[in-house]
Amino acid sequence: MDRRRIPGPEASVKPIIERADDEDTQHVAPLKTIDDIRQDGRSLDKIRKAWLAPGIITQANGSAYIEFQGTKVACAVYGPRATKISAFSGKGSLNCEIKFAPFSCQKRRSPQRDPQEKELSHLLFEALAPAVRLDLLPKSTIDVFVTILQNDGNGSCLAASITAASVALADAGIEMLDQVAACSACYIDDEIWIDCTLREEEHAQGSLVLSYMSSLNEITHMLQSGEISVSGTIRTIEQCTEACSKIYSIMGNCLLESVRRKLEKDNTLGGLNKKEG
Amino acid sequence: MSSTTENNNTKYTTENDQITSKSDEGNSNANKKETKFIVDADSIRRIQPLEYFRHFTDQKIRPNGRVFNRFRKTTLHLGSVTTADGSAVVRIGNTSVVCGIKAEVAEPNVNTPREGYLVPNVELSPMCSPNFKPGPPSELAQVLSETVNKLLKSSSVLSLESLCIEEGKAVWVLYCDVVCINYDGNILDASVYAVVSALSNVRLPKITYADGIVKATPDKTIELSLSRIPFSATFAIFNGEILADPDETEEVILEERITIICDEEGQLCSVLKSGGSSSTRETFSTCLELARNRYSVLSTIFKEASTSANTN
Repeated sequence: MDRRRIPGPEASVKPIIERADDEDTQHVAPLKTIDDIRQDGRSLDKIRKAWLAPGIITQANGSAYIEFQGTKVACAVYGPRATKISAFSGKGSLNCEIKFAPFSCQKRRSPQRDPQEKELSHLLFEALAPAVRLDLLPKSTIDVFVTILQNDGNGSCLAASITAASVALADAGIEMLDQVAACSACYIDDEIWIDCTLREEEHAQGSLVLSYMSSLNEITHMLQSGEISVSGTIRTIEQCTEACSKIYSIMGNCLLESVRRKLEKDNTLGGLNKKEG
Repeated sequence: MSSTTENNNTKYTTENDQITSKSDEGNSNANKKETKFIVDADSIRRIQPLEYFRHFTDQKIRPNGRVFNRFRKTTLHLGSVTTADGSAVVRIGNTSVVCGIKAEVAEPNVNTPREGYLVPNVELSPMCSPNFKPGPPSELAQVLSETVNKLLKSSSVLSLESLCIEEGKAVWVLYCDVVCINYDGNILDASVYAVVSALSNVRLPKITYADGIVKATPDKTIELSLSRIPFSATFAIFNGEILADPDETEEVILEERITIICDEEGQLCSVLKSGGSSSTRETFSTCLELARNRYSVLSTIFKEASTSANTN
Protein backbone atom coordinates (compact mmCIF):
# COMPACT_ATOMS: atom_id res chain seq x y z
CA MET A 1 0.00 0.00 0.00
CA ASP A 2 1.12 3.52 -0.77
CA ARG A 3 1.21 5.43 2.51
CA ARG A 4 2.11 8.72 0.88
CA ARG A 5 -1.20 9.10 -0.92
CA ILE A 6 -4.81 9.23 0.23
CA PRO A 7 -5.90 5.58 0.26
CA GLY A 8 -8.96 4.35 -1.58
CA PRO A 9 -10.59 0.93 -1.27
CA GLU A 10 -8.36 -2.11 -1.73
CA ALA A 11 -9.87 -3.01 -5.07
CA SER A 12 -12.23 -1.28 -7.44
CA VAL A 13 -13.48 -2.06 -10.92
CA LYS A 14 -15.20 -0.33 -13.79
CA PRO A 15 -18.87 -1.34 -13.97
CA ILE A 16 -19.85 -3.62 -16.85
CA ILE A 17 -21.45 -1.55 -19.57
CA GLU A 18 -24.67 -3.11 -20.73
CA ARG A 19 -25.98 -2.11 -24.12
CA ALA A 20 -29.52 -2.27 -25.30
CA ASP A 21 -30.02 -4.61 -28.28
CA ASP A 22 -30.63 -1.91 -30.83
CA GLU A 23 -27.44 -0.14 -29.80
CA ASP A 24 -25.36 -3.23 -30.42
CA THR A 25 -25.28 -2.66 -34.14
CA GLN A 26 -24.02 0.86 -33.61
CA HIS A 27 -21.24 -0.35 -31.34
CA VAL A 28 -19.83 -2.72 -33.93
CA ALA A 29 -20.18 -0.11 -36.64
CA PRO A 30 -17.45 -0.59 -39.26
CA LEU A 31 -14.21 1.34 -38.76
CA LYS A 32 -14.47 2.83 -42.23
CA THR A 33 -16.94 3.27 -45.05
CA ILE A 34 -16.57 1.64 -48.46
CA ASP A 35 -14.82 4.78 -49.75
CA ASP A 36 -12.09 4.36 -47.11
CA ILE A 37 -13.35 7.20 -44.94
CA ARG A 38 -12.80 6.58 -41.26
CA GLN A 39 -15.31 7.30 -38.48
CA ASP A 40 -13.75 10.68 -37.76
CA GLY A 41 -14.00 11.66 -41.42
CA ARG A 42 -10.38 11.30 -42.60
CA SER A 43 -8.91 8.90 -45.12
CA LEU A 44 -6.52 6.08 -44.15
CA ASP A 45 -3.30 8.00 -44.89
CA LYS A 46 -4.20 11.22 -43.01
CA ILE A 47 -3.10 12.17 -39.51
CA ARG A 48 -5.56 13.63 -37.06
CA LYS A 49 -5.81 17.40 -36.68
CA ALA A 50 -2.81 18.47 -34.65
CA TRP A 51 -2.49 21.40 -32.31
CA LEU A 52 0.95 22.32 -31.04
CA ALA A 53 1.98 25.05 -28.59
CA PRO A 54 5.59 25.59 -27.46
CA GLY A 55 6.50 27.41 -24.24
CA ILE A 56 3.37 26.80 -22.16
CA ILE A 57 5.25 25.76 -19.00
CA THR A 58 6.91 28.96 -17.81
CA GLN A 59 8.90 27.27 -15.04
CA ALA A 60 10.74 25.04 -17.51
CA ASN A 61 13.64 25.92 -19.81
CA GLY A 62 11.59 24.65 -22.72
CA SER A 63 8.17 23.09 -23.09
CA ALA A 64 5.49 22.04 -25.52
CA TYR A 65 1.89 20.87 -25.54
CA ILE A 66 0.57 18.74 -28.37
CA GLU A 67 -2.89 17.50 -29.16
CA PHE A 68 -3.90 14.95 -31.79
CA GLN A 69 -7.62 15.27 -31.07
CA GLY A 70 -8.01 12.60 -28.37
CA THR A 71 -4.31 12.31 -27.54
CA LYS A 72 -3.07 15.13 -25.32
CA VAL A 73 0.53 15.38 -24.16
CA ALA A 74 2.48 18.02 -22.22
CA CYS A 75 6.27 18.06 -22.12
CA ALA A 76 8.86 20.08 -20.19
CA VAL A 77 12.63 20.22 -20.62
CA TYR A 78 14.95 21.23 -17.79
CA GLY A 79 18.61 21.82 -18.36
CA PRO A 80 21.29 21.48 -19.39
CA ARG A 81 22.09 21.39 -15.67
CA ALA A 82 25.02 19.93 -13.73
CA THR A 83 25.06 16.16 -13.49
CA LYS A 84 24.66 14.84 -9.97
CA ILE A 85 26.97 11.88 -10.57
CA SER A 86 30.51 12.89 -9.62
CA ALA A 87 32.27 10.79 -12.26
CA PHE A 88 33.41 12.82 -15.27
CA SER A 89 31.66 12.26 -18.55
CA GLY A 90 32.61 14.00 -21.76
CA LYS A 91 29.12 13.63 -23.09
CA GLY A 92 25.91 15.03 -21.67
CA SER A 93 23.22 12.65 -20.54
CA LEU A 94 19.60 12.73 -21.62
CA ASN A 95 17.07 11.67 -19.03
CA CYS A 96 13.55 10.98 -20.33
CA GLU A 97 10.46 10.20 -18.30
CA ILE A 98 6.94 9.57 -19.52
CA LYS A 99 4.10 9.58 -17.03
CA PHE A 100 0.43 8.82 -17.59
CA ALA A 101 -2.00 10.97 -15.63
CA PRO A 102 -4.20 8.64 -13.53
CA PHE A 103 -7.29 9.71 -15.48
CA SER A 104 -5.73 9.50 -18.93
CA CYS A 105 -6.81 5.99 -19.93
CA GLN A 106 -10.03 3.98 -20.12
CA LYS A 107 -9.25 2.36 -16.78
CA ARG A 108 -7.74 4.40 -13.96
CA ARG A 109 -3.97 4.03 -13.75
CA SER A 110 -2.25 3.84 -10.42
CA PRO A 111 -0.11 6.93 -9.84
CA GLN A 112 2.87 4.67 -9.14
CA ARG A 113 5.26 3.95 -11.98
CA ASP A 114 4.47 0.88 -14.03
CA PRO A 115 6.51 -1.10 -16.57
CA GLN A 116 4.73 0.43 -19.57
CA GLU A 117 5.85 3.92 -18.54
CA LYS A 118 9.42 2.64 -18.15
CA GLU A 119 9.32 1.13 -21.61
CA LEU A 120 7.90 4.26 -23.22
CA SER A 121 10.49 6.42 -21.43
CA HIS A 122 13.24 4.28 -22.85
CA LEU A 123 11.79 4.43 -26.36
CA LEU A 124 11.55 8.22 -26.06
CA PHE A 125 15.22 8.34 -25.11
CA GLU A 126 16.21 6.16 -28.04
CA ALA A 127 14.24 8.28 -30.49
CA LEU A 128 15.67 11.61 -29.29
CA ALA A 129 19.26 10.83 -28.36
CA PRO A 130 20.60 10.59 -31.96
CA ALA A 131 19.30 14.10 -32.71
CA VAL A 132 20.62 15.95 -29.64
CA ARG A 133 24.21 17.25 -29.70
CA LEU A 134 25.10 15.68 -26.36
CA ASP A 135 28.81 15.85 -27.25
CA LEU A 136 28.62 19.65 -26.79
CA LEU A 137 27.41 19.33 -23.20
CA PRO A 138 29.96 17.57 -21.02
CA LYS A 139 29.19 17.06 -17.32
CA SER A 140 25.55 18.04 -17.78
CA THR A 141 22.11 16.47 -17.82
CA ILE A 142 19.02 17.32 -19.80
CA ASP A 143 15.77 16.22 -18.19
CA VAL A 144 12.76 15.60 -20.40
CA PHE A 145 9.49 15.08 -18.52
CA VAL A 146 6.36 14.10 -20.40
CA THR A 147 2.85 13.81 -18.96
CA ILE A 148 0.17 12.13 -21.01
CA LEU A 149 -3.11 13.78 -20.10
CA GLN A 150 -5.34 11.81 -22.40
CA ASN A 151 -4.62 8.62 -24.26
CA ASP A 152 -6.37 7.87 -27.56
CA GLY A 153 -4.11 5.29 -29.13
CA ASN A 154 -0.96 3.88 -27.52
CA GLY A 155 1.11 4.32 -30.67
CA SER A 156 -0.01 7.89 -31.09
CA CYS A 157 0.86 8.60 -27.43
CA LEU A 158 4.47 7.61 -28.03
CA ALA A 159 4.60 9.49 -31.33
CA ALA A 160 3.09 12.61 -29.75
CA SER A 161 5.54 12.39 -26.83
CA ILE A 162 8.52 12.23 -29.18
CA THR A 163 7.24 15.13 -31.27
CA ALA A 164 6.45 17.25 -28.20
CA ALA A 165 9.81 16.50 -26.59
CA SER A 166 11.63 17.48 -29.74
CA VAL A 167 9.80 20.82 -29.90
CA ALA A 168 10.42 21.38 -26.19
CA LEU A 169 14.17 20.74 -26.66
CA ALA A 170 14.24 23.31 -29.46
CA ASP A 171 12.26 25.72 -27.28
CA ALA A 172 14.90 25.27 -24.56
CA GLY A 173 17.55 26.29 -27.06
CA ILE A 174 19.39 22.96 -26.95
CA GLU A 175 21.43 22.27 -30.05
CA MET A 176 20.12 19.47 -32.22
CA LEU A 177 20.99 18.01 -35.59
CA ASP A 178 17.37 18.22 -36.69
CA GLN A 179 13.86 18.11 -35.28
CA VAL A 180 12.48 14.62 -34.73
CA ALA A 181 8.92 14.09 -35.88
CA ALA A 182 7.19 10.83 -35.07
CA CYS A 183 4.17 9.07 -36.48
CA SER A 184 2.38 5.81 -35.72
CA ALA A 185 0.62 3.44 -38.07
CA CYS A 186 -1.42 0.27 -37.73
CA TYR A 187 -1.93 -2.64 -40.06
CA ILE A 188 -5.59 -3.63 -40.25
CA ASP A 189 -6.79 -6.23 -42.77
CA ASP A 190 -3.85 -5.75 -45.18
CA GLU A 191 -4.25 -2.00 -45.17
CA ILE A 192 -2.10 0.71 -43.63
CA TRP A 193 -3.85 3.09 -41.26
CA ILE A 194 -1.91 6.17 -40.20
CA ASP A 195 -2.28 7.65 -36.67
CA CYS A 196 -4.85 5.24 -35.24
CA THR A 197 -7.29 5.92 -32.41
CA LEU A 198 -7.67 3.55 -29.49
CA ARG A 199 -10.72 1.92 -31.05
CA GLU A 200 -8.95 1.30 -34.36
CA GLU A 201 -5.91 -0.10 -32.52
CA GLU A 202 -8.07 -2.84 -31.02
CA HIS A 203 -8.50 -4.30 -34.51
CA ALA A 204 -4.85 -3.99 -35.54
CA GLN A 205 -2.73 -7.00 -36.49
CA GLY A 206 0.48 -5.04 -36.27
CA SER A 207 1.76 -1.57 -35.55
CA LEU A 208 4.73 0.65 -36.27
CA VAL A 209 6.08 3.85 -34.73
CA LEU A 210 8.61 5.78 -36.77
CA SER A 211 10.79 8.73 -35.67
CA TYR A 212 12.20 10.65 -38.57
CA MET A 213 14.41 13.68 -39.15
CA SER A 214 12.95 15.32 -42.22
CA SER A 215 15.73 17.67 -43.34
CA LEU A 216 18.46 15.06 -42.91
CA ASN A 217 16.23 12.32 -44.30
CA GLU A 218 17.29 9.99 -41.49
CA ILE A 219 15.33 7.64 -39.26
CA THR A 220 16.30 7.88 -35.58
CA HIS A 221 14.09 5.13 -34.26
CA MET A 222 11.65 2.55 -35.47
CA LEU A 223 9.51 0.12 -33.55
CA GLN A 224 7.55 -2.54 -35.37
CA SER A 225 5.41 -5.09 -33.62
CA GLY A 226 2.83 -7.65 -34.59
CA GLU A 227 2.29 -9.34 -37.87
CA ILE A 228 3.22 -7.33 -40.96
CA SER A 229 4.87 -8.70 -44.10
CA VAL A 230 8.25 -7.32 -45.20
CA SER A 231 6.82 -5.50 -48.20
CA GLY A 232 4.01 -4.18 -45.99
CA THR A 233 6.53 -2.85 -43.49
CA ILE A 234 8.47 -1.05 -46.19
CA ARG A 235 5.29 0.53 -47.53
CA THR A 236 4.32 1.55 -43.98
CA ILE A 237 7.70 3.18 -43.46
CA GLU A 238 7.21 5.18 -46.66
CA GLN A 239 3.77 6.37 -45.63
CA CYS A 240 4.98 7.20 -42.12
CA THR A 241 7.87 9.30 -43.44
CA GLU A 242 5.38 11.25 -45.53
CA ALA A 243 3.18 11.86 -42.49
CA CYS A 244 6.27 12.77 -40.43
CA SER A 245 7.20 15.41 -42.99
CA LYS A 246 3.75 16.97 -42.53
CA ILE A 247 4.16 16.96 -38.75
CA TYR A 248 7.66 18.38 -39.22
CA SER A 249 6.31 21.38 -41.10
CA ILE A 250 3.75 22.00 -38.32
CA MET A 251 6.58 21.87 -35.75
CA GLY A 252 8.68 24.31 -37.76
CA ASN A 253 5.81 26.77 -38.17
CA CYS A 254 4.90 26.68 -34.48
CA LEU A 255 8.49 27.24 -33.33
CA LEU A 256 8.92 30.11 -35.79
CA GLU A 257 5.69 31.67 -34.60
CA SER A 258 6.71 31.40 -30.94
CA VAL A 259 10.11 32.98 -31.63
CA ARG A 260 8.41 35.79 -33.54
CA ARG A 261 6.04 36.40 -30.62
CA LYS A 262 8.94 36.45 -28.17
CA LEU A 263 10.82 38.99 -30.31
CA GLU A 264 7.75 41.19 -30.63
CA LYS A 265 7.28 41.10 -26.87
CA ASP A 266 10.91 42.03 -26.31
CA ASN A 267 10.59 44.86 -28.81
CA THR A 268 7.52 46.33 -27.14
CA LEU A 269 9.18 46.05 -23.74
CA GLY A 270 12.31 47.65 -25.12
CA GLY A 271 10.17 50.43 -26.57
CA LEU A 272 8.54 51.01 -23.21
CA ASN A 273 11.88 51.18 -21.47
CA LYS A 274 13.11 53.73 -23.98
CA LYS A 275 10.06 55.88 -23.42
CA GLU A 276 10.53 55.73 -19.68
CA GLY A 277 14.24 56.56 -20.01
CA MET B 1 33.79 78.32 0.74
CA SER B 2 33.68 78.76 -2.96
CA SER B 3 37.09 77.20 -3.40
CA THR B 4 36.06 74.05 -1.52
CA THR B 5 32.99 73.52 -3.65
CA GLU B 6 35.10 73.97 -6.72
CA ASN B 7 37.50 71.42 -5.35
CA ASN B 8 34.67 69.05 -4.70
CA ASN B 9 33.39 69.52 -8.16
CA THR B 10 36.71 68.81 -9.76
CA LYS B 11 37.10 65.76 -7.57
CA TYR B 12 33.72 64.50 -8.72
CA THR B 13 34.53 64.96 -12.36
CA THR B 14 37.74 63.04 -12.13
CA GLU B 15 36.00 60.18 -10.33
CA ASN B 16 33.27 60.07 -12.89
CA ASP B 17 35.78 60.23 -15.65
CA GLN B 18 37.38 57.13 -14.27
CA ILE B 19 34.10 55.24 -14.13
CA THR B 20 32.63 56.42 -17.38
CA SER B 21 35.88 56.96 -19.20
CA LYS B 22 34.32 56.61 -22.64
CA SER B 23 31.67 59.30 -22.32
CA ASP B 24 32.47 62.97 -22.58
CA GLU B 25 29.13 64.02 -21.20
CA GLY B 26 28.43 66.83 -18.76
CA ASN B 27 28.88 66.69 -15.04
CA SER B 28 25.25 66.08 -14.07
CA ASN B 29 24.81 63.37 -16.63
CA ALA B 30 27.83 61.48 -15.38
CA ASN B 31 26.43 61.75 -11.88
CA LYS B 32 23.27 60.02 -13.00
CA LYS B 33 25.28 57.21 -14.51
CA GLU B 34 27.06 56.63 -11.25
CA THR B 35 23.84 56.24 -9.26
CA LYS B 36 22.48 53.92 -11.92
CA PHE B 37 25.55 51.73 -11.48
CA ILE B 38 25.04 51.43 -7.73
CA VAL B 39 21.31 50.60 -7.82
CA ASP B 40 21.34 47.61 -10.09
CA ALA B 41 17.90 46.13 -9.49
CA ASP B 42 18.71 42.66 -10.68
CA SER B 43 21.69 42.15 -8.39
CA ILE B 44 19.75 43.42 -5.40
CA ARG B 45 16.98 40.99 -6.25
CA ARG B 46 19.47 38.15 -6.12
CA ILE B 47 21.47 39.22 -3.08
CA GLN B 48 18.75 40.78 -0.93
CA PRO B 49 15.40 39.45 -2.11
CA LEU B 50 13.54 40.68 0.94
CA GLU B 51 15.03 44.17 0.70
CA TYR B 52 14.22 44.25 -3.00
CA PHE B 53 10.67 43.27 -2.23
CA ARG B 54 10.35 45.94 0.46
CA HIS B 55 11.38 48.63 -2.05
CA PHE B 56 8.36 47.74 -4.12
CA THR B 57 5.87 47.33 -1.27
CA ASP B 58 6.86 50.79 0.01
CA GLN B 59 5.46 52.11 -3.27
CA LYS B 60 2.28 50.01 -2.76
CA ILE B 61 3.04 47.69 -5.64
CA ARG B 62 4.54 44.21 -6.08
CA PRO B 63 7.54 43.30 -8.27
CA ASN B 64 5.23 41.39 -10.63
CA GLY B 65 3.29 44.60 -11.30
CA ARG B 66 0.14 43.70 -9.39
CA VAL B 67 -1.41 45.85 -6.67
CA PHE B 68 -1.74 44.23 -3.26
CA ASN B 69 -5.23 42.77 -3.45
CA ARG B 70 -5.26 41.82 -7.13
CA PHE B 71 -5.57 38.12 -7.98
CA ARG B 72 -4.14 36.78 -11.21
CA LYS B 73 -6.33 36.08 -14.22
CA THR B 74 -8.20 32.84 -13.67
CA THR B 75 -9.70 30.55 -16.29
CA LEU B 76 -11.65 27.30 -16.05
CA HIS B 77 -12.52 24.68 -18.65
CA LEU B 78 -14.81 21.80 -17.82
CA GLY B 79 -15.00 18.38 -19.43
CA SER B 80 -11.99 18.70 -21.73
CA VAL B 81 -10.48 15.34 -20.69
CA THR B 82 -12.88 12.88 -22.27
CA THR B 83 -11.34 9.74 -20.77
CA ALA B 84 -12.34 11.01 -17.31
CA ASP B 85 -15.89 10.99 -15.95
CA GLY B 86 -15.50 14.61 -14.95
CA SER B 87 -12.64 17.03 -15.46
CA ALA B 88 -11.53 20.62 -14.98
CA VAL B 89 -8.54 22.59 -16.26
CA VAL B 90 -7.71 25.57 -14.05
CA ARG B 91 -5.24 28.33 -14.77
CA ILE B 92 -4.42 31.01 -12.21
CA GLY B 93 -1.88 33.20 -13.95
CA ASN B 94 0.85 30.82 -15.01
CA THR B 95 -0.13 28.13 -12.52
CA SER B 96 -2.13 25.46 -14.30
CA VAL B 97 -3.60 22.23 -12.98
CA VAL B 98 -5.80 19.51 -14.45
CA CYS B 99 -8.20 17.52 -12.30
CA GLY B 100 -9.74 14.36 -13.71
CA ILE B 101 -12.24 12.19 -11.87
CA LYS B 102 -12.56 8.48 -12.54
CA ALA B 103 -15.60 6.65 -11.16
CA GLU B 104 -15.27 2.98 -10.29
CA VAL B 105 -17.23 0.48 -8.23
CA ALA B 106 -16.00 -1.16 -5.02
CA GLU B 107 -17.22 -2.94 -1.93
CA PRO B 108 -17.95 -0.51 0.93
CA ASN B 109 -16.18 -0.52 4.24
CA VAL B 110 -17.85 -2.91 6.72
CA ASN B 111 -18.32 -0.14 9.28
CA THR B 112 -19.94 2.23 6.82
CA PRO B 113 -22.01 0.03 4.47
CA ARG B 114 -23.81 2.96 2.85
CA GLU B 115 -20.86 5.26 2.23
CA GLY B 116 -18.89 5.56 -0.99
CA TYR B 117 -15.31 6.69 -1.33
CA LEU B 118 -13.92 10.06 -2.35
CA VAL B 119 -10.17 9.85 -2.95
CA PRO B 120 -8.45 13.15 -3.79
CA ASN B 121 -4.74 13.16 -4.62
CA VAL B 122 -2.52 15.99 -5.79
CA GLU B 123 0.44 15.11 -7.98
CA LEU B 124 3.32 17.59 -8.23
CA SER B 125 5.33 16.02 -11.01
CA PRO B 126 8.90 17.07 -11.80
CA MET B 127 7.47 18.47 -15.04
CA CYS B 128 5.82 21.46 -13.41
CA SER B 129 8.78 22.99 -11.59
CA PRO B 130 12.57 22.54 -11.38
CA ASN B 131 12.24 22.14 -7.59
CA PHE B 132 10.31 18.87 -7.69
CA LYS B 133 12.02 15.53 -8.08
CA PRO B 134 10.75 12.32 -9.62
CA GLY B 135 9.63 9.59 -7.27
CA PRO B 136 7.04 9.32 -4.49
CA PRO B 137 5.00 12.45 -3.65
CA SER B 138 6.92 15.17 -1.83
CA GLU B 139 5.94 16.55 1.55
CA LEU B 140 4.19 19.48 -0.11
CA ALA B 141 2.14 17.16 -2.32
CA GLN B 142 1.14 15.02 0.66
CA VAL B 143 0.10 18.05 2.70
CA LEU B 144 -1.93 19.37 -0.25
CA SER B 145 -3.71 16.05 -0.79
CA GLU B 146 -4.56 15.83 2.88
CA THR B 147 -5.80 19.45 2.98
CA VAL B 148 -8.11 18.87 0.02
CA ASN B 149 -9.24 15.56 1.51
CA LYS B 150 -10.08 17.18 4.86
CA LEU B 151 -11.91 20.01 3.14
CA LEU B 152 -14.10 17.63 1.14
CA LYS B 153 -14.82 15.37 4.11
CA SER B 154 -15.21 17.81 7.02
CA SER B 155 -17.28 20.40 5.19
CA SER B 156 -19.39 17.64 3.59
CA VAL B 157 -19.17 18.95 0.02
CA LEU B 158 -20.60 15.68 -1.24
CA SER B 159 -22.57 13.31 0.97
CA LEU B 160 -20.81 9.96 0.74
CA GLU B 161 -24.15 8.18 1.15
CA SER B 162 -25.24 9.53 -2.23
CA LEU B 163 -22.53 7.29 -3.74
CA CYS B 164 -24.23 4.13 -2.49
CA ILE B 165 -25.38 1.61 -5.13
CA GLU B 166 -26.46 -1.31 -2.95
CA GLU B 167 -26.06 -1.20 0.82
CA GLY B 168 -23.14 -3.30 2.04
CA LYS B 169 -22.48 -4.61 -1.46
CA ALA B 170 -21.41 -1.92 -3.90
CA VAL B 171 -20.63 1.80 -3.80
CA TRP B 172 -19.05 4.34 -6.15
CA VAL B 173 -15.41 5.31 -5.73
CA LEU B 174 -14.50 8.72 -7.09
CA TYR B 175 -10.77 9.08 -7.68
CA CYS B 176 -10.05 12.82 -7.96
CA ASP B 177 -6.53 13.16 -9.30
CA VAL B 178 -5.03 16.61 -9.65
CA VAL B 179 -2.00 16.87 -11.94
CA CYS B 180 0.00 20.08 -11.89
CA ILE B 181 1.21 21.21 -15.33
CA ASN B 182 2.91 24.45 -14.40
CA TYR B 183 3.77 25.46 -10.83
CA ASP B 184 3.84 29.20 -10.28
CA GLY B 185 2.59 29.45 -6.72
CA ASN B 186 -0.79 29.31 -5.00
CA ILE B 187 -1.31 25.66 -5.84
CA LEU B 188 -3.88 25.19 -3.06
CA ASP B 189 -6.38 27.64 -4.59
CA ALA B 190 -5.94 26.03 -7.98
CA SER B 191 -6.33 22.48 -6.60
CA VAL B 192 -9.47 23.24 -4.60
CA TYR B 193 -11.04 25.09 -7.53
CA ALA B 194 -10.17 22.22 -9.90
CA VAL B 195 -11.44 19.43 -7.62
CA VAL B 196 -14.73 21.13 -6.78
CA SER B 197 -15.38 22.15 -10.41
CA ALA B 198 -14.51 18.67 -11.67
CA LEU B 199 -16.91 17.13 -9.12
CA SER B 200 -19.66 19.34 -10.49
CA ASN B 201 -18.76 18.11 -14.00
CA VAL B 202 -19.02 14.39 -13.13
CA ARG B 203 -21.71 12.48 -15.01
CA LEU B 204 -22.39 8.93 -13.84
CA PRO B 205 -24.21 6.20 -15.76
CA LYS B 206 -27.49 4.70 -14.55
CA ILE B 207 -26.66 1.56 -12.68
CA THR B 208 -28.36 -1.71 -11.78
CA TYR B 209 -27.24 -4.23 -9.19
CA ALA B 210 -28.17 -7.90 -9.44
CA ASP B 211 -26.51 -10.98 -7.88
CA GLY B 212 -23.19 -9.31 -7.19
CA ILE B 213 -22.87 -7.87 -10.68
CA VAL B 214 -23.02 -4.15 -11.33
CA LYS B 215 -24.21 -3.13 -14.77
CA ALA B 216 -24.17 0.36 -16.20
CA THR B 217 -25.84 2.07 -19.13
CA PRO B 218 -23.48 3.38 -21.82
CA ASP B 219 -24.66 6.99 -21.60
CA LYS B 220 -23.64 9.04 -18.60
CA THR B 221 -26.27 11.46 -17.40
CA ILE B 222 -26.55 11.52 -13.60
CA GLU B 223 -25.00 14.54 -11.92
CA LEU B 224 -23.68 14.57 -8.38
CA SER B 225 -25.56 16.72 -5.91
CA LEU B 226 -23.02 18.92 -4.19
CA SER B 227 -24.32 20.28 -0.90
CA ARG B 228 -21.74 23.07 -0.75
CA ILE B 229 -19.44 24.62 -3.32
CA PRO B 230 -16.31 25.84 -1.53
CA PHE B 231 -13.65 27.94 -3.26
CA SER B 232 -10.44 29.08 -1.67
CA ALA B 233 -8.46 32.32 -1.54
CA THR B 234 -4.85 32.59 -0.37
CA PHE B 235 -3.05 35.68 0.89
CA ALA B 236 0.57 36.26 1.82
CA ILE B 237 1.27 38.61 4.70
CA PHE B 238 4.26 40.94 4.52
CA ASN B 239 4.81 43.57 7.24
CA GLY B 240 1.09 43.57 7.96
CA GLU B 241 0.23 44.14 4.29
CA ILE B 242 -2.07 41.60 2.62
CA LEU B 243 -0.86 40.35 -0.76
CA ALA B 244 -3.48 38.34 -2.61
CA ASP B 245 -2.61 35.23 -4.62
CA PRO B 246 1.19 34.99 -4.14
CA ASP B 247 3.15 33.61 -7.09
CA GLU B 248 6.15 31.31 -6.84
CA THR B 249 8.81 34.00 -6.30
CA GLU B 250 6.69 35.61 -3.59
CA GLU B 251 6.02 32.29 -1.89
CA VAL B 252 9.76 31.70 -1.53
CA ILE B 253 10.29 35.05 0.21
CA LEU B 254 7.11 35.34 2.25
CA GLU B 255 6.47 32.56 4.73
CA GLU B 256 3.32 33.86 6.31
CA ARG B 257 0.17 32.84 4.50
CA ILE B 258 -3.55 32.81 5.21
CA THR B 259 -5.96 30.66 3.22
CA ILE B 260 -9.68 31.17 3.58
CA ILE B 261 -12.08 28.69 2.04
CA CYS B 262 -15.72 29.71 2.08
CA ASP B 263 -18.91 28.49 0.43
CA GLU B 264 -21.65 30.14 -1.64
CA GLU B 265 -23.38 31.61 1.43
CA GLY B 266 -20.15 33.16 2.67
CA GLN B 267 -19.86 30.57 5.44
CA LEU B 268 -16.38 29.38 6.30
CA CYS B 269 -15.30 25.89 5.33
CA SER B 270 -11.69 26.13 6.36
CA VAL B 271 -9.15 28.70 7.51
CA LEU B 272 -5.46 27.94 7.34
CA LYS B 273 -2.70 30.15 8.64
CA SER B 274 0.84 29.01 8.21
CA GLY B 275 4.31 30.30 8.98
CA GLY B 276 5.54 33.75 9.93
CA SER B 277 4.72 35.71 13.04
CA SER B 278 1.40 36.52 14.64
CA SER B 279 -1.34 38.29 12.73
CA THR B 280 -3.87 40.70 14.14
CA ARG B 281 -7.59 40.11 14.13
CA GLU B 282 -8.04 43.00 11.68
CA THR B 283 -5.84 41.20 9.16
CA PHE B 284 -8.10 38.19 9.39
CA SER B 285 -11.29 40.16 8.92
CA THR B 286 -9.84 42.01 5.91
CA CYS B 287 -8.76 38.67 4.42
CA LEU B 288 -12.24 37.28 4.99
CA GLU B 289 -13.80 40.19 3.14
CA LEU B 290 -11.35 39.83 0.25
CA ALA B 291 -11.99 36.09 0.16
CA ARG B 292 -15.74 36.70 -0.19
CA ASN B 293 -15.09 39.08 -3.08
CA ARG B 294 -12.85 36.50 -4.64
CA TYR B 295 -15.57 33.89 -4.22
CA SER B 296 -18.02 35.90 -6.29
CA VAL B 297 -15.41 36.25 -9.08
CA LEU B 298 -14.65 32.51 -9.07
CA SER B 299 -18.34 31.72 -8.93
CA THR B 300 -19.04 33.77 -12.09
CA ILE B 301 -16.19 32.03 -13.95
CA PHE B 302 -17.53 28.69 -12.70
CA LYS B 303 -21.06 29.39 -13.94
CA GLU B 304 -19.84 30.53 -17.35
CA ALA B 305 -17.70 27.41 -17.71
CA SER B 306 -20.61 25.16 -16.66
CA THR B 307 -22.98 26.63 -19.21
CA SER B 308 -20.43 26.42 -22.04
CA ALA B 309 -19.64 22.79 -21.06
CA ASN B 310 -23.33 21.89 -21.05
CA THR B 311 -24.05 23.43 -24.44
CA ASN B 312 -21.21 21.51 -26.11
